[in-house]
Amino acid sequence: MIEQLPILNLLVLLSTALVIPLFKKRTFNMTLWFGFFTLFFVFISSIVLTYHVYVHGAFYYHLGGHAPFLGIELLIDGFATFFTTFVLGLLILIYSYSAGDATEGISEKEYGRYYILLFILLFAMLGIIYTNDLFNIYVFMEILSITTCSIISIKRKKENYTSAFRYVMLNEVGSLSFLFGVALIYMITGFTNIGLVADALPDVWALYPANIILAVGFMVIGIGIKAAIFPFHVWLPDAHASAPSSSSAILSGIVIKVYALIFVKMLFRLYGVDLLTELNIPIILTVTASVGMVLGSMFAMAQKDIKRMLGYSSVAQMGYIVLGISLFSYLGLRAAFFHITSHALLKSALFLSVGAIIYKQKERRINHYDGIGKLMPLSMGVFTIAALGMIGIPITSGFISKYNLGLAALDANQTILIGVLVFSGLLNAMYYLPIIIQAFLKEPKTPVYMIKLEKIPLTMMLPIAILGLAILTLGIYPNLVMNLIDLAVESLGF
Amino acid sequence: MIEFLQMLYDYVNYLGAVALFIIGLHTVVTHSNLIKRIMGINIMGTAVFYFFIAIGNVTGGLPPILTDTPGEYINPLPSVLILTGIVVVVSITVYSLSLVIRIYETYGTIDQDEIAKINERENADD
Amino acid sequence: MDDIIVKSITRIIIPFVQLYGIFIILHGHVSPGGGFSGGALFGTSLILYTLIFGVDKAQKKFSHRVSEIAESGGILIYLSIGVIGIFTAGYFLSNKAAGFPLGEAGSLLSGGMIPLLMIGVGIKVASTMVTLFHTLIMEERL
Repeated sequence: MIEQLPILNLLVLLSTALVIPLFKKRTFNMTLWFGFFTLFFVFISSIVLTYHVYVHGAFYYHLGGHAPFLGIELLIDGFATFFTTFVLGLLILIYSYSAGDATEGISEKEYGRYYILLFILLFAMLGIIYTNDLFNIYVFMEILSITTCSIISIKRKKENYTSAFRYVMLNEVGSLSFLFGVALIYMITGFTNIGLVADALPDVWALYPANIILAVGFMVIGIGIKAAIFPFHVWLPDAHASAPSSSSAILSGIVIKVYALIFVKMLFRLYGVDLLTELNIPIILTVTASVGMVLGSMFAMAQKDIKRMLGYSSVAQMGYIVLGISLFSYLGLRAAFFHITSHALLKSALFLSVGAIIYKQKERRINHYDGIGKLMPLSMGVFTIAALGMIGIPITSGFISKYNLGLAALDANQTILIGVLVFSGLLNAMYYLPIIIQAFLKEPKTPVYMIKLEKIPLTMMLPIAILGLAILTLGIYPNLVMNLIDLAVESLGF
Repeated sequence: MIEFLQMLYDYVNYLGAVALFIIGLHTVVTHSNLIKRIMGINIMGTAVFYFFIAIGNVTGGLPPILTDTPGEYINPLPSVLILTGIVVVVSITVYSLSLVIRIYETYGTIDQDEIAKINERENADD
Repeated sequence: MDDIIVKSITRIIIPFVQLYGIFIILHGHVSPGGGFSGGALFGTSLILYTLIFGVDKAQKKFSHRVSEIAESGGILIYLSIGVIGIFTAGYFLSNKAAGFPLGEAGSLLSGGMIPLLMIGVGIKVASTMVTLFHTLIMEERL
């Protein structure tokens, strides 16, 4: 029965999204509890799957019992189970936060719709992580991009429409490029199954090099646009800044990470290290990642709106992840995976705490944040922890991931990357530290006489506090997830 | 020269698809009219579908339906994949057109440059 | 539109369009077409009705609530037929192994569960087309 759990997860999420609109007559709370129970079920089942894969090893699931070259194949291995469990755990936190703060810019009629979109989004993300079929990845990617765009445009504000439009245009260019790549691959191999294509590629490489070079180019650019890898990041800051806070956390913390995971899957499972090294892809990726790390932080410094600043910071952090991937080594991939985990926690913590501040103070401009640490110690405290994590101060998870990245760079004999890492860390400090100093050391505009915990709903406070604790725990005991990450890296063939 | 023309003739479907893809990309990137950009996306989509169908085609092949007459038949899988692709592009088109309706309602224009100007003016007021 | 010719022609045409839609949905497994094309045809007939008789009358025939239920129901039919496969054959969407009779190839009653799936897809596509069209029209009125 455990073999059926991945498909059950997908089905449960999809049917939750379908059943919610039928609840219209019932109260909103019922929808919330219903959604929470499904999330919890899927979370438990993915923990069971993780344990199963840890003990018994990876397994395949064939939809309809068809052979892999005919039908859709799901591959459940260390990589898939670790990231699904992580995504679901993080999403439960954000979900319970959104129960308190769904009001931000969404009218009451739209609550139900927001949760429909959320569950379809989750369905698509799990599907992308599980599936082992190129065309299926494309379909899930399109579902994902339509739902993210709808979540961005659910707030009835001007800038949401324009940023959602820009997002949908660029994303569509990205996914059509990816599809073109799939077509080129299908043309020469006759398969869309990743495993079968990977087996066939070395033979085909000698016969049709032009096709493969074009396919690699189209697919790297296509996913690069969607994962906001540096030169293609223009859509990200607007889109992530204008969405409601809980969705910004999902978009910036999870969704672009899922695209990074497709990127990893495509590079290592489909093409393989040898072919890509021959095409000089590692060097191209290293250069773009380094430039992205530096320039993303520089753009972030120039921002006045705090959520836009966080959006540009995501661009820089995607640079770290791509840097880890581009080293094409066991250590590099390990560092990249740890950074995916750690940055997802950090960015969600930042967006949620900023969301709590916006919820309470209705203020998004950075220069109005004087003394806000005295008004809202918990939110600002977690913000501080996460910001220190972004800079890479020890005892936060950000330090561990940078340490690992540094080790991987040394291992690959690329000492110049250490310089880039340190410089980018400094740049991070230059825009995160002033906010912290401003918030805790300056006097607030309205004087307060006593520090007391802010009055925000418990469902919002709890996730923020848990995220803060998780960042510290991962910083002190990184081995809690390192075993699983090692398993994930090993399942990619290292 | 003859060889070049022969190659052109042999690969006309593939070259046509690539040309369409580039025309579509050019439309998406350079035009400021939002509707024209959506059209560009559709052209790009058509290019990819055309390419897929061209891969699956067998010259003189039969439709892949079970009949009594034996013979070479066309590969049905690309067509099936493309049916899904068409549905996806249609839904993207519908979604972005509805966004354009919203944008027209709030800004009174569907030109990217004019929208940028209006935004700049409003940000200057802050 | 208040034109007697258009109205009476539409009244005559709509049943045939719908019949053709249902025909294509049910023959999806033996001839070109299927749930998507047939559903689109069926949806178009309802859109035609809306165009000619106005959205108010159309809403009475096919209200928002009904189309919502049909939209969810279409996929739920698909999923529940797929789930049968999990219990009987061990794989989602199993066809022959799950005990669906395959019948004689080329006849209407063949293909196991595929016609059943096509019905679900057809319902979903038809109701989605109508919902999209109605939403766009109603939006203008607000």
